[in-house]
Amino acid sequence: MIEALSDKRLLIVTGKGGVGKTTVAAALALDSARRGLRTLVCEVNTRERIAPLLGKPEAGAEVTSVEENLWAVNVRPEPAMREYALMVLKFESIYSAVFENRVVRYFLRFIPSLQELVLLGKILYHLKEKRPDGSFRFDRVIIDAPATGHAITFFSVPQVILDTVPPGAMATDAAWMRDFLVDRAMTAVVLVSLPEELPVNETLELHRQLSERVHVTSAAVVLNGFIPRRFDDAEKPSGLSPALQDVIRAHEVRAALSVSCQKTLSTLGLPVVPVPRIFTDEFGRGALEQVASHLTGAVRP
Amino acid sequence: MQDADVLITVGSGGVGKTTVAATLALRAAMEGQGSMVCTIDPARRLANALGLEALGNKEAKIPDEAFAKAGLLPRASMHAMMLDMKRSWDDLVERRAPPDKREKILSNRFYQALSTALAGSQEYIAMEKMWELHEQGRYPLLVVDTPPTAHALDFLDAPNRILDFLDNDAAKWLLTPALAAGKFGLKLFNLGGSYVAKTISRFTGTETLQQLADFMLNITSLTESFRERAHQVRGLLQSPSTAFVLVTAPMPERLDEAVYFHTLLLQNKMRVAAVVVNRVHAPVPDALWGEVARLSGPLHAKLEQTLKENDRLAAQDAKGIERLRELCAPTPLVLVPRFELDVHDLKAVWETSRYLWGDATVEGVAPVR
Repeated sequence: MIEALSDKRLLIVTGKGGVGKTTVAAALALDSARRGLRTLVCEVNTRERIAPLLGKPEAGAEVTSVEENLWAVNVRPEPAMREYALMVLKFESIYSAVFENRVVRYFLRFIPSLQELVLLGKILYHLKEKRPDGSFRFDRVIIDAPATGHAITFFSVPQVILDTVPPGAMATDAAWMRDFLVDRAMTAVVLVSLPEELPVNETLELHRQLSERVHVTSAAVVLNGFIPRRFDDAEKPSGLSPALQDVIRAHEVRAALSVSCQKTLSTLGLPVVPVPRIFTDEFGRGALEQVASHLTGAVRP
Repeated sequence: MQDADVLITVGSGGVGKTTVAATLALRAAMEGQGSMVCTIDPARRLANALGLEALGNKEAKIPDEAFAKAGLLPRASMHAMMLDMKRSWDDLVERRAPPDKREKILSNRFYQALSTALAGSQEYIAMEKMWELHEQGRYPLLVVDTPPTAHALDFLDAPNRILDFLDNDAAKWLLTPALAAGKFGLKLFNLGGSYVAKTISRFTGTETLQQLADFMLNITSLTESFRERAHQVRGLLQSPSTAFVLVTAPMPERLDEAVYFHTLLLQNKMRVAAVVVNRVHAPVPDALWGEVARLSGPLHAKLEQTLKENDRLAAQDAKGIERLRELCAPTPLVLVPRFELDVHDLKAVWETSRYLWGDATVEGVAPVR
C-alpha cells in the first residue's frame, strides 16, 4: 500500500466524476483486506458497483461480507436515518411512534444536511464499533466518496451542523465526526485524477478546498489511465502512411500528456501513483487486481 | 435543437456536459443567435472551456479577442456566467421578502445553511436564474448546464421541494397557533403537550426546533412567490421551446445512467432533443491493419499493440452505443469523437459543434439516423 496510507483508519477516495474513484476504492480495499486488515468499503447512496466488480452479488444497505477480511455496504439515507435514530432513542417502539409520524418526517427533512449527516454518521460509526474481545470491528473504513463539489459539501456537513444546530445529540455527534475527519493520524484523502488537463486542474482545486474548507488532509494522488511512452524518436519513420503516423503521434501525445500531468500533480507535494490504462473487454475482477498491484507498488508502469 | 430557446444539458459527471453546453451556445452565436450559457456545476469548468480566466455571478460577454484567437467570427454575441449560490439566494430574499422580514431571514442560521449547503437549494436557485434570464429575454438562446445526474434529478424536483418546505400540511399544523397570534418566538413545545416534539428534541436539541420554527415563520412570507415561481418553472421546463440535451460517455456505467435519466425526463413530460455520446473511439480502418502487417521488428509489435488497444476501445464503445440507441429510441443519438487533447479552448469547442450539427461524423460508427 502507498506508504502515507498504510496506518490510516479512514480512507476517503474522491476526484472529478468519471476518473475511476470506485475502481481505486475497490482496489485499495482489496489490498487492505489482503494485508489482514478487517476492511469495510462504503459506497454512498449510489448505484452499487464495488461488490459486483469483485464478482460478488450487491451488498445493499447492510454491511455484507464479501471475502476474507472484506465487507461492503452501499449506505442509503433511510436505513441510515433509522439506525441513527435507534441509537439515540434506544427503543424500536419509540422510533415507530415518533419517526413514522408525518410531522416529524417533515421536520427532519428540513433540518439542513441531516441526510448527509446520517450517511456520514453511519460510515464513521463503523470505525467505533468493537468486537466482544474489545478490538475494533473494522480496522479500516474506505469511502468511495461523491465527486468534487459534492464531496466538499458532504465532508463539510459536520461543520455545517455545528454552525447551525445548537447543542444536543446531533451536535455532539457532528463534533465527533468533524474531529475524526480532521485528525491526520486517522484520516487520509486519496485524490483520483486522469492524465488530462481539466481533471488535473480540478484535482489541484479539490486539494486546496479540502484542506482550506474541510481541513482534511490529502495523502496521495492516484493518476489513473496513465499512458506510458511506447515509441522512441527513432521510430517515427517516414515510410509510414499519414494515418499510421497519426496513430503513433496520438499515442505519444497522450503519453507526453500523462507525464506532464504527473509533473503538475507532483507540485502538490504528495506521492503521485500512476496506474496505467487497462485495456480489457470486461472491466471486472482481473482488471481490478491489476489496478491493486499498481497501487501497492508491485508493478511500475 | 434548432427551434428551442432554452437548452438544458444533463448527464453524469465527467462526460463533458459543460463542454457540450458551451458548444451549443457557441454554435448559436456563430449562426447569429445571441446566446448565454449558465453553469451551476460546483466544479468551475466552464471558464476553463471558454478560455476565460474566471466566471462570476454576473453575466460576462465572451471577448472578441477570444474568438479572434480561435479564428472564429460570431454573427451574434455569446455570454457566460457561473451561478454563485449564496449571492443569488440573498438577491432573491432582498427582492421578494417584505422589508421587515428580510433581516430576520438573512441572519437566521437555517437560512444560511439553506443558501449554502442544503441539498437541492443549488438546483432551486439555478431554476430561478434560468427563469429570470428567460423572462428578461435578452438572450435568444439560453443554455443551462446542470450538476451530475444524481443531482440533476434534484434539479427537476427542486421547485416542488422548496414548495413542500414552505407549504406543507404538517408545518401548518405545527405553526398555525403562532401564525394566528402573529408572533415569532413560537413556543413549539406547548403545542398539544407535545410528546412528539419532546422526542424530536432529544434528537436535535431543543433550540434547533425553536430556530427552525422561527425561520419557517419568517420565510412563509415568501411562500406565495415561491409557489408562483415553481409553477412557472415547471411550465418553462415542459414548454415546447425548451429541450434537454442528455450528455453521456460510452463507458457502460455512464450509459446505464443515461438510459435511466432519459426515461425519467420523458416521464416528466420533458422534451429530449438529443443524446450526445461524447468521446467516442472510432474503429481502426482495415487499411491500417494491412499496413502494420507488412512491417516487422519492434515497430510492428508496438504498432500492432496500439491498434489492438484502439480497436478494443472502439468495439466497447460501439457495443454500448448500440444498446443506448435501442433503449433511447426514437431520440436521436449524436456521436462526438474523442479528441487528441482536452477541449479547453474555443477552437476545440467549435470543432465539437461540427459533430453536434452533423457537419462531421465519427467514421466507421453506425450513422445517426
